Amino acid sequence: MKRTVIPFGPQHPVLPEPIVLDLILEDERVVDAVPTIGYIHRGLEMMVERVEYTEMGFVVERICGICSFMHGMGYCVSLESIMKIEVPERAQWLRLIWAEISRIQSHLLWLGLGADAFGFENLFMHCWRMREEILDIFEKTTGGRVIHSVNRIGGVKRDISDAELAAILVRLEELGKEFKKTASVFSTDPSIAHRLGGVGVLTAEEALTTATVGPMARASGIATDTRLNGANLYNQIEFQPITETAGDCLARVVVRLREVDQSIDMIRQAIDKMPKGEGLALENKPRGNPVGETFTRLEQPRGEVVYYVKANGTKYLERFRARTPTFANVPAMIQLVKGCELADVPNIILTIDPCISCTER
Amino acid sequence: MDRTAFLARVEEYHKGGWRLALINATSTMSTEEQPGGSFDVVWAFARGTDFEYVREQVMPDDEVPSISDSFAAAFLYENEMRELFGINVVGLNVDLGGQLYKTSQKVPFSPSAIRARLEANVAAGIASASTTPPAAPHAAPAAPAPAAGKPA
Repeated sequence: MKRTVIPFGPQHPVLPEPIVLDLILEDERVVDAVPTIGYIHRGLEMMVERVEYTEMGFVVERICGICSFMHGMGYCVSLESIMKIEVPERAQWLRLIWAEISRIQSHLLWLGLGADAFGFENLFMHCWRMREEILDIFEKTTGGRVIHSVNRIGGVKRDISDAELAAILVRLEELGKEFKKTASVFSTDPSIAHRLGGVGVLTAEEALTTATVGPMARASGIATDTRLNGANLYNQIEFQPITETAGDCLARVVVRLREVDQSIDMIRQAIDKMPKGEGLALENKPRGNPVGETFTRLEQPRGEVVYYVKANGTKYLERFRARTPTFANVPAMIQLVKGCELADVPNIILTIDPCISCTER
Repeated sequence: MDRTAFLARVEEYHKGGWRLALINATSTMSTEEQPGGSFDVVWAFARGTDFEYVREQVMPDDEVPSISDSFAAAFLYENEMRELFGINVVGLNVDLGGQLYKTSQKVPFSPSAIRARLEANVAAGIASASTTPPAAPHAAPAAPAPAAGKPA
């Protein structure tokens, strides 16, 4: 049969992310997909050659506007590991709280985009309205809605008062109740089930073969979650990875719906367990230049991120590498679109929650 | 690198149910003995909360075998190593033919490209000679890293 090549992206009506795929079709069926990276490749990893390690964190958190907090955190944790800096406990708890707030805003953003993609504009508006309130919390506590610049090597720049933390928890719990109504639409509406159920199925075996991470893997029944390694005080939080077994587009939606509730619960536990009081230490500043190397793994909203940092005793790092979750999920995405109908491609691609800024760096 | 021994070790991770977490290359600058520089390449694997890696020093003329027979998802990292570092990876299950990244500079992370940029940075006053990494031209090579291990 004659084959047709259709470019998917960098601009596509359902996807603000500038993903670039060449779809090779036989009639309406996709037989292959070839990814290209580079439309927004900025060479950020190369900037370690001219940006001092103390300033590089500000570059790293600009890898992506959705994952910015956790990129900044991952960079700082890496340098703290190399330089053997002990981070004050309250600062670690604050990082955990911001990280989970970050996960909530990322999932709400994605759920809205997903709803928009399968033609449910009203649901999109509800998700993004709630996300605005999360961004308000970020703005109030860090000073920034998208780029927060609150992480420092050795701790955090700002504290959140105990009263403010209590108020944030009250607001998040109210949002959680409100979100349950929205979540029930995602999980029970027959048109959504018809559009996403049984589409883009990734089995557990395929998820392992394609080295899939995050909600994408958990929706295929793999209980993987980097937070289980207990680092960054997650060992003091009670939680279990949220999994679904269907492995289809709908399962990937449901995992993220449930993770919003889970993150609110984690924040509740963190506020309960963190040391209370004003004027507690937030930062142990680095001294000298780092020497050594480290791998750091965090669970970003989209899945495991791995940072590799190599330092050689000067102000400039020798190597900084971020292997982002979308980069790890691209092989699975390509596998999923092979054999699917052209009309299902946007939903399949969207349900991996692709972040091309992260992927291209 | 010992191709057979390397592939055998990678296959052990595959049989053990490990997931490919990362393949990362780092350029090592030129020395008197190795004017073309070399590459420090790490293949990292994860299983649950465990994280281990295999490490090899790769010379510019070396052929690095693809591990995509054992780990199908390796093709993305391997195409990246070829395009950004100029490492000669052979036997890929998906060969993107240099079309993965669209960079203005060919092989921007090759030892010679990094060397040229570092020298330009010093000349432009961005980095003084005292702050230029010791891995800069003709510096002593770093101490050999362990061939495999767990991160600290």
